[in-house]
Amino acid sequence: MAIIDARTLPNASRIEADLVIIGGGMAGITLAKELAGGPLKVALLESGGLEIDMEVQALYAGSAVQKAPGQPDRPFDDYPIQSRVRALGGSGLVWGGKCAPLDPADFAKRPWIAHSGWPITRQQMQPYYDRACDLLEIPRFPLEMVRPTEPERQPLALDPADGFFPAPREFSKFSGGADKTAFDRFRTDFAQAPNITVYLHANVTRIRREADRITGLDVGCLSGQRHTAIAQRYVLAVGGIENVRLLLASDNLGNRYDLVGRFFQGHVTYSNDGDAETEGSAVAIARKTPMDLYAPSKRMAAYCVIGADLSAQQRLKTGNFTATLFKATFSGPETKVGADTRTIGKTTAQDGDGQLLGYFAMAEHFPHPESRVTLDPEHKDPLDMPRVRLTWTYAAKDHDDLVRSVEGLSDALGASGEGRMCWSIPRGQLLAISSASRHHMGTTRMHADPRKGVVDADLRLHEARNLYVAGSSVFPTSGIANPTLTILALVMRLADHLKHETGAAR
Amino acid sequence: MTSRRDLLAALVALAATPAMAREPTPFPGLDPAAVKRMGEAWRAAHPDIALRKLEARLFPGGRGKAALPRLREQAAADFRRGAVFVYRGWRLSDTEGALFALLSLEA
Repeated sequence: MAIIDARTLPNASRIEADLVIIGGGMAGITLAKELAGGPLKVALLESGGLEIDMEVQALYAGSAVQKAPGQPDRPFDDYPIQSRVRALGGSGLVWGGKCAPLDPADFAKRPWIAHSGWPITRQQMQPYYDRACDLLEIPRFPLEMVRPTEPERQPLALDPADGFFPAPREFSKFSGGADKTAFDRFRTDFAQAPNITVYLHANVTRIRREADRITGLDVGCLSGQRHTAIAQRYVLAVGGIENVRLLLASDNLGNRYDLVGRFFQGHVTYSNDGDAETEGSAVAIARKTPMDLYAPSKRMAAYCVIGADLSAQQRLKTGNFTATLFKATFSGPETKVGADTRTIGKTTAQDGDGQLLGYFAMAEHFPHPESRVTLDPEHKDPLDMPRVRLTWTYAAKDHDDLVRSVEGLSDALGASGEGRMCWSIPRGQLLAISSASRHHMGTTRMHADPRKGVVDADLRLHEARNLYVAGSSVFPTSGIANPTLTILALVMRLADHLKHETGAAR
Repeated sequence: MTSRRDLLAALVALAATPAMAREPTPFPGLDPAAVKRMGEAWRAAHPDIALRKLEARLFPGGRGKAALPRLREQAAADFRRGAVFVYRGWRLSDTEGALFALLSLEA
């Protein structure tokens, strides 16, 4: 119906709808798209405007630190403000468009990983992944990968018993980082539907509850206006950190069992450059045929990472792991390290010259109750919301498993004659050397048991019958894949649930 | 037909023909200093293994092309059982390390 600037509304306006979506990021927009044209009157409240505004962005500011046993704490205070975007389209504005589903193993209960297991399976997610792919106009991800036919895109001939497989990645044009014009359409066109109204500069500062029902929202604008929003149902979709902030700031909503904000999981990459002693993270590939399947020359071309499936994880007693290969430069042949690398490359080569590639490793960040988002009541933003504190915590198992996974893949490559790997990051430097992605997961985890999760399998808050949570905060485990596609797939599933529950599906 | 540049062929071919090791370019396509460094690193971890013992271990049936498949299988088996030789971060099979050691001794 419209996009309205909430600052232009008379003070104390009352926004009424059947459903209020809190947050206009990828999750909120996708839900609104799914409901567009239907019978439900939907109001979407977005904190920011159409473009990134640093005054609005500053509402994210908080403190953060990364911790790992035996390693110095890593201050990370810029992370909350730099890792998300507060505008219509959310972090989609800076997203690169990379899409991948989580692996079947990510959904599985793995006895060697505490708190693992989703209440849904990868197979059950397939139709929702398909719809998310269709929305993003990318090829679907079938459960069984179709082997490419092009000679330059042949997978490494690893022994299937080792459990390392090519895990595909695709790129959507609907992201600010890929095609801004296409993304601008994506993030605004749904507002043309007669049942949708988008309110910009509308910050939800409090969720009001009576018993097990949400009764309304307090909405504030940085320009001073205060409004309310009332609906039958609400969906909270403001990101893995801000979902927590709003729940905790709303009289500890959803936190009866002290779970809200715990189990924060992030994605980081591990790699290093060569120096006088080592080559850094490198792989000598035995074949000389192009490795376009793994390291394409073209930017944003579909490619595969090398992933560890459930059998590899079970065998190695590790979590998910990937190695992403890329074209890189290496030490010069005049150096000892360079001469050693070339010699290893030549003795690895199967037929003529092989090839050297760089790689970065990623390992699953396991759910850890002390890895958490809390509120800092001493510091508040201009809307009187307490700032956040992020304590991003690893256990010893996280880095132990990373190293064991790298060794496992190295051994699989070696045993198959497909290559040799170099890994030279000292154990005590893993935290310092890691590079963080902008993925915030696990803080309102999904579980059928309210003592083990904040939302149920339908994404409904255990404590409130008419509040749902969308976004990667509901992921019980985080896998490795970029979370956007899974967020959208879960939103498709939520949309079906809401349509069914409200009779809108008829 | 086994390629000389196959997985271990470059190493095996050299090791299989000691005369080549006495040629002016004992490691065609390979950096002699690098071979020596890697060989010495492996020997440093196995100080009790002498040249004859090393040869007997790598070539129990004598040198020649017939040794190649067996060595390749041995290298694969090394990775499977965790018998690896880590050199400057590179994870190689113990058999490869032993071959580098033999080459460096024969050079």
